Amino acid sequence: MRVSPRLASLIAGAASVMVVAAAAHAHSQPYSFVDVELDQGVLHGRVTAHVVDLAHEAALPVPDSLFDAAFTARRLGALERVIDSHLKLGADHRRVRPRFGAFRSVRDKRSIAFDWTSDVHAPAELELDGPLFPYDPPHETYVNVYVDGKLVHEDLLDREHTSASYVVGTRQSIARVVGTFVLQGMHHIFIGPDHILFVVGLLLLGGSLFRLLKIVTAFTLAHTITLVLATLRVVNPPPRVVEPLIALSIIYIGVETLLALRRERDARARIAFGFGLVHGFGFASVLRDFGLPNTALGWALGSFNLGVEAGQACIVLAAAPLLMWLRRHDPAIGRRVVTATSGVIIAAGAYWLVQRL
Amino acid sequence: MKLLVPAVVLALGVLTPACAGAHEFWLAPSSYRAARGDTLRATAFVGTGFRGELKPYAATRAVTWVARGTRLVDLKPGSVNGDDVFGRWVPDDDGGVLFAYESNFVPIELPAEEFDAYLELEGLDGPRAERAKLGALAGDGRERYERCPKAWVAGRDPKRVTAAVGLSLELVPATDPSLPGPLKLRLLFRGEPLPGTLVRAWNHKLASGWSPVDGASRDSVGPVAHARTDAHGVATLVLPGSGEWMLSAVHMEPSRDPRHADWESYWASLTFARAERKR
Repeated sequence: MRVSPRLASLIAGAASVMVVAAAAHAHSQPYSFVDVELDQGVLHGRVTAHVVDLAHEAALPVPDSLFDAAFTARRLGALERVIDSHLKLGADHRRVRPRFGAFRSVRDKRSIAFDWTSDVHAPAELELDGPLFPYDPPHETYVNVYVDGKLVHEDLLDREHTSASYVVGTRQSIARVVGTFVLQGMHHIFIGPDHILFVVGLLLLGGSLFRLLKIVTAFTLAHTITLVLATLRVVNPPPRVVEPLIALSIIYIGVETLLALRRERDARARIAFGFGLVHGFGFASVLRDFGLPNTALGWALGSFNLGVEAGQACIVLAAAPLLMWLRRHDPAIGRRVVTATSGVIIAAGAYWLVQRL
Repeated sequence: MKLLVPAVVLALGVLTPACAGAHEFWLAPSSYRAARGDTLRATAFVGTGFRGELKPYAATRAVTWVARGTRLVDLKPGSVNGDDVFGRWVPDDDGGVLFAYESNFVPIELPAEEFDAYLELEGLDGPRAERAKLGALAGDGRERYERCPKAWVAGRDPKRVTAAVGLSLELVPATDPSLPGPLKLRLLFRGEPLPGTLVRAWNHKLASGWSPVDGASRDSVGPVAHARTDAHGVATLVLPGSGEWMLSAVHMEPSRDPRHADWESYWASLTFARAERKR
């Protein structure tokens, strides 16, 4: 391709002007750094913020003027208010109000670092929302948590991942993790109609208490295996595979129930185990999205699974006696209900399959 | 033509100021030559025209961060979140060191027009054609991108750079890239040859010795060579001159997780340095 020198220089010139214009408000280092330190139970730390962000938020016209220590000292009150309002740090679900100490220039990062301390003593859980300067969409806040000088937690807050938390390894904090993740597990079952329909599908044919226990145990065992493997990143199938397979499992259990009505066969325990492996990957994806505390991974994983089991138990306790009562009261109606429900399950599964493919 | 290249470089910078995904990402070692016992520091830069800003290391983004010398070593445990230095390594022989990094996905969204312009500038013809077919239905560009840069600190054992590490998208030279002459390379996507992809080469002078000029203090330059990979994922680039080189390639395909993005892109780069040819 040949382009005349005149045209090329025009493009270059126009582009240069646009670059300068863009640079006037663009920010090439959209980063801030928050160190949270717990030393002998005392919570303190440091916030390092870029001069462009500080100047923007404190309405200062020349960011580089902040490298003049005397200038910064004169505006320290305004700058500390900026940091105070942007640092959304919580300890045990209470907002931490930092008391600022020394500040210093960090020239290579074009930043100012502010030391702070607090009245908080021996917190069980720390939370930080961010990023620090959300006015700038690409902004990222690097978060490091130190306990007695040891780096124990690293995170990066951006517009997608807006919350970091760290559980200090005490008994009280573990109890909090257990409570949180049990509720999350139950919540996921109750808001997930796909899992509910699959479990209902497994129960439709009824059976003795032992048989139902065997089916539910097979499902539990299978999804526990894959939940653990996926959470520990041993096996990590992509959602585009897992989600359609979950939909397929719902269709399958519906069809299987209809076929079982005509033939004397009951393969539900095997189906529950096979597709339970797939559902476990689905649970793992939810658990990952929720964010796992590195220091209490085992507790979080176990509690989430416990919550899932509790949710399932609720479904079993609600659906199984109702189906049993119907079947005993009027076998013909019971059969019709099973047929109709299977149809609904197949239709819902087919809808999700198309949606997820 | 000489003026067109910087114009395109500048235009790319203007069209994608908010789109970090449209910027090159490369690893810069403190020196492109190292002897046993030297301490190498690897930093990362993000920018356009082989000029960029330091990107601090993010522990939660690093999927792979290794150095291949006498053995493959995981650098993640020694790297600190937020540090400007991605990693440090002391070679235990003179065979050379290959640094390789892979990030996880970072989501980004661009208005439709900007996204289409970015696809055109990056030579991403496949996604561009797909979006053109959809017309207005294509909507805004919902993308997630990941980085796959490598840097070669040359030494006596070229196998350390000619063998793939296993990054999702990887530029694998057939010979030691630090030696003069045309460079043949393979582009691998998930370990398989990737045909029809644009590979570009950028060049900058070195500072003193084998140390690169600070990526943030240099001028932007345009690519000096480019080639598309053939059916076997192979491309040959003629690289004129000495100094610091960056090869780069980008591959985009429909996202495997359509809930979070419509497209996913992979950005590979390989940096190395070449000596002045002896007369």
